[in-house]
Amino acid sequence: MADTIVSDTVASKGLKGGSLGLVAVIVIGVASTAPGYSLAASLGGVTGVAGLKAPFIMLFAFVPMACIAASFYYLNKADPDCGTNFTWGVRAFGPKAGWIAGWGCIVADLVIMPNLAGISGQYFLLLFFDEKTANNIYLQTAIGMVFIVAMTWICWKGIELSARSQVLLLGTELAVLAIFAVIALSKAFGKGISRVVPITHDDGTVVNTTFHSVRPSLSWMSPSGLSTSSVVAGLVLAVFIYWGWDTCVSVNEEAKDSNKTPGRAAVLSTVILLAIYLVVSYGAVALLGPDFATNAGSEAIYQLGKVALPGWLLKLLIIAILTSAAASCQTTILPATRTMLSMGSHGAAPAKLAQIDTKRLTPDYSSWLFGGISILWYLVLVVISHNSSTDAYNASIAAVGMAIAVYYGLSGISCILYFRRWIFTSVKNFVLIGLLPGFGGVVLIYVFCKTVWDARSVDYGYGTLFGVGTVLIIGTLLLVLGIPLMFWCSVKYPHFFSFRPDPVDLVKDPTGDDTLAAPLGTYTKSNRGGI
Amino acid sequence: MAGELIVGVGGDGSGFEAARRAAKIAALMKVSLILVFGYESVAMGPRGGALEEEIEAVGEEALGEIRDELRTAHAGLDVLIEMVPQRPVDALLAAADEHAASFIAVGHGGSGPLRAALLGSVTYEIVHRSHIPVLVVPDDEDDLD
Repeated sequence: MADTIVSDTVASKGLKGGSLGLVAVIVIGVASTAPGYSLAASLGGVTGVAGLKAPFIMLFAFVPMACIAASFYYLNKADPDCGTNFTWGVRAFGPKAGWIAGWGCIVADLVIMPNLAGISGQYFLLLFFDEKTANNIYLQTAIGMVFIVAMTWICWKGIELSARSQVLLLGTELAVLAIFAVIALSKAFGKGISRVVPITHDDGTVVNTTFHSVRPSLSWMSPSGLSTSSVVAGLVLAVFIYWGWDTCVSVNEEAKDSNKTPGRAAVLSTVILLAIYLVVSYGAVALLGPDFATNAGSEAIYQLGKVALPGWLLKLLIIAILTSAAASCQTTILPATRTMLSMGSHGAAPAKLAQIDTKRLTPDYSSWLFGGISILWYLVLVVISHNSSTDAYNASIAAVGMAIAVYYGLSGISCILYFRRWIFTSVKNFVLIGLLPGFGGVVLIYVFCKTVWDARSVDYGYGTLFGVGTVLIIGTLLLVLGIPLMFWCSVKYPHFFSFRPDPVDLVKDPTGDDTLAAPLGTYTKSNRGGI
Repeated sequence: MAGELIVGVGGDGSGFEAARRAAKIAALMKVSLILVFGYESVAMGPRGGALEEEIEAVGEEALGEIRDELRTAHAGLDVLIEMVPQRPVDALLAAADEHAASFIAVGHGGSGPLRAALLGSVTYEIVHRSHIPVLVVPDDEDDLD
């Protein structure tokens, strides 16, 4: 259309730059990581594999994730597409690997949905009823399903809370977690407390067990005494708590020309996040020892809160976990549907996936498809967990850790491969597009492989499915399912599968001024872009 | 040239009636009519790329449709299209500012009273933030005349 103007002058972020202030950017970064929900979902598992060393695992898991954030940042500069790993994978490796990277991202989002729904159901019931009701699997599942539908609906409607209500919600969440940590630590440093809890063993016998406070020690932040397998098992659970943190990096990119605020906000939100995970895990481990948290599983934060907090603060803690689970849908449903949209839009999957609702301007078909499949997958897991000794439902945290490890790991490797021409041109480039992404990528790929190896054993925990560890099945089944699907698409959409990786000599310097790559699909088997 | 009329148009046909009314006035005033499509994808995660392309396609289709209709109805009327990647309200105000427009025309009827109160309505915000006159036209043709 000759007389269509995509107005650049009007779009020069004058109005928006002012509205995305320091606090707002911090809020977006921290809220999309959903600290309350992340802790509720993973704390019990991390203490299970690392015991007193849970704080070390919580901190250490940040390292590879932070390294990968560098690759997200620079790959996003070359191609800021909502397909992220999918489009970057195509550019670095080619269409087949790119397709699988996109699939990995969708799978990670899908695998976590049952846990998100289950925890929301559980904590919703805890808010209004007692613990017995909260563990009623039928009620929990029903509420969990309503939750998935509601979250899908919100993403489809494109509803966003105003910045002010987000600040309020996140402020409450952080305050309650901090109060919990302070009370727990002061009790542990003081006289200490003990609690007698009836523990049901695997063989059905109930034994009253006494748990005591443990005096906090700095050694909980060191890895000494942990086996490699425990560290890896801890990492695969804990990478999950930083999932979504990279949003901060992309928001940073968003408003970079307004002033230095976003950069400072990214650093500050990281510090806030690390601090809150550190003090809460210290408090949780110290209050009644790691075994208490392990035993409580996904209820760990609630059970510990019940010991440390007065009733009204406990309610507030539950509300914080619930709202944080809802916020977590932003980092789950949105990226999944956007990857689906990107794959449909670039002709790698059915075009219907790229369908946009004309009124709400959101991908409606992808949203409802993802919501529907999530509910099915949730039901499958609930049925499996309920009818056998298999804990498929809690295994999903470890499984999602595997999926995150593989697709974050791949983007680290994509970054190095894609920018290989520029890595050795300056020290800055070497560190930011070579060393950090490479280190993060190698660590995460190693975590994935080691988990596959360890989880094949029947005593990895969470029970077995078809004679193999549940985590391995859930973590790899859906990933592997992508391979036949990919070949099916390659027959149906030959044009996309004729794309070539971007020729290395045409890749632009990611730290330069002009970083944008040519549109995806410029380089195909028949057209090498004029070379 | 200053004094153009700005019309906010949505991908779902909202604002079409406002555009028709504004076109009549623009023809009388002998100024151009600028159709503005404001869009912003959700403020989380990487943006741009495929999602924005698809949204732009929706907007271009809707704007193209109403532009062709207006050009047929008013020979000689200059109808322009502007795609502005910002919140609709900010997009309209910025376009009005840039062109020193005479007034802004918007549709009304997209959101009910409750939703408008909770999430804000474009029309409401425009009326309160605009420094120039605003023409509010009900979207549903049956409500008119």
